[in-house]
Amino acid sequence: MFRSTPRASGYYRTGYGQDLALIQTRTERISLAILVTLAIALPFIAGPFLLDLACQVFLASIGALSLMLLTGYAGQISLGHAGLIAAGAFTTGILAREIAAPFWITLPASALTGILLGLIFGLPSLRLRGLYLAVSTLALHFIVIYLGGEYETKRGFSTGILIDPPSLAGFKLTDGRAWYFVLLLAAAASLMICINLLRSSSGRAWRAVHARETVAEALGINVAGYKLLVFVISSSMTSVAGCLFAYYRGFVSIEAFDLFLSIQYVAMIIIGGMGSLLGALLGAAFVTLFPYLIESLLALLPNIQKFAGDIFAVNYTAFGVVMILFLVFEPLGLVGIWRRLQNYFLLWPFKYRPLTGARK
Amino acid sequence: MSSVLLSVEKAEVVYKRAITAVQGISLSVRDGQIVALLGTNGAGKSTTLRAISGFLGLDDARVTEGAITFDGHRIENRPPHEIARRGVVLVPEREKVFQNLTVAENLAAPVPRAADKRRLEDQIYQFFPRLADLRGRVGGLLSGGERQMLAIASALMCRPRLLMIDELSLGLAPVVVQDLTRRLIMIRDQLGIAILLVEQSAAVALSISDYAYVMENGRIVLDGDRERLNSHQDVQEFYLGQSDGNGQDSTTARRSYRDVKQYRRSRRWYG
Repeated sequence: MFRSTPRASGYYRTGYGQDLALIQTRTERISLAILVTLAIALPFIAGPFLLDLACQVFLASIGALSLMLLTGYAGQISLGHAGLIAAGAFTTGILAREIAAPFWITLPASALTGILLGLIFGLPSLRLRGLYLAVSTLALHFIVIYLGGEYETKRGFSTGILIDPPSLAGFKLTDGRAWYFVLLLAAAASLMICINLLRSSSGRAWRAVHARETVAEALGINVAGYKLLVFVISSSMTSVAGCLFAYYRGFVSIEAFDLFLSIQYVAMIIIGGMGSLLGALLGAAFVTLFPYLIESLLALLPNIQKFAGDIFAVNYTAFGVVMILFLVFEPLGLVGIWRRLQNYFLLWPFKYRPLTGARK
Repeated sequence: MSSVLLSVEKAEVVYKRAITAVQGISLSVRDGQIVALLGTNGAGKSTTLRAISGFLGLDDARVTEGAITFDGHRIENRPPHEIARRGVVLVPEREKVFQNLTVAENLAAPVPRAADKRRLEDQIYQFFPRLADLRGRVGGLLSGGERQMLAIASALMCRPRLLMIDELSLGLAPVVVQDLTRRLIMIRDQLGIAILLVEQSAAVALSISDYAYVMENGRIVLDGDRERLNSHQDVQEFYLGQSDGNGQDSTTARRSYRDVKQYRRSRRWYG
């Protein structure tokens, strides 16, 4: 998120402390304040549909951020993220159903499930790379879905598990506005965790592992250990997102976690822009809102009722086309477009940055 | 005389459980000493460095015999990161910097604590001021010489006690190499760390090392301090390209050290 983009003229860092500061310039401070105000004001302006969309984006953001940590920063591919969300959701559903566990038990339990799964499915990453690793994480997805399906049929919840809304400090969470703030907080917390992890030594180690494993190893970085660590952290974050998802929907069923969901998460980080937390957020918003956008566009066409059954097919197709277009024309994703815009205005009226040597 | 930091005793390295690459070599590096490992391609220099730094495992090779001791600890066949943490840091031959990361990020990668990072970074910019100017540039856009500087600087960020450099002068202009060697001596003098160099170019190696080993076909065939090797006739002839003054000049085809030994051996055997 905070890579070395050109700054407005006159902004030079003069000490290492400035390197560490999260917010560096007045513009950043002001825009952050505006963003926070907007986020807080939204539920009081928007209707229930828009609120639901926002909540979905927040849930997707947590998953996308954790996948970005794993894939965008540490370079480990995973196609098992839908499985991990399912694992969190089922942990929550089963615990809530079987022992009527409250929120403050199911949430850590989901995180623990994620940690265990991350540990198990991180192990192949020590030996496998690229596509091979992707296939091994795919196994995770199918195992979790299989186990979830078994539970559903054995216990007679063939359509899914119903969950009561959680109560936080004696307050039942049913209101859409309350959910909005809870999920906003959860997404913001995930973002802060990711930012700080990336600024820590483990973040530096992950990027080193991604960039070149042998060099990382030569510089004394425990490559195997850090790979496992990123799997564990990413999995537990995703599992927690699954837990929140289960409560938000009030319903857990394996149908919600098909392979397409995994693909969607991968799409989020690709469309958003690899190696950028901002990209994860933008991608999550884009991929979540995209089907609704297509639907509302289609609704504008005349005589659309006749084709109501085909809308999902149009949706899938459009999604595929957008993916391809991004891969071909904008490999850096939405964040790449954003950076280019920034660069354009920062460098204006010049087109390129001059040679660095000339500055001093 | 300072104490022995690294010692390799009669080490043997076997690739894929079948091919012996290095046989019974022994060498030692003392505290604050610059030692060079010379030899032609395929002599086993890089294998020796890999054996010391623990990178043999990647190529399905291992040290099958002998011992490698660093500061009193046996380090043969240990994982590379563990050896690096002990203080033996390798600057690899190729692929030595993180291409997608900026210079500052490259330098920060191996450091566990932010507080150390600042101090170490300042220290390193004293040796390589050029890197301070390039702080925000990504590794992939650096020139060859800058990359070598960055690789050495990253290695220094690990606070090594022994720095090992594979092919210091590979692909670099003589001027750049001269500059690098000057800085290496500065680093040795100020930080007191030992340096083990692998070099093809005997002239470069002998210009900065205190002691040198010549490898040939997986064995050490010659060793001695700088003065001895510099004046050694074989080294002069086959590595430094100097004639012995008998009318031959350096333009005549230079034979390899191995050829000459072969020649001498056959003369000994067949009279």
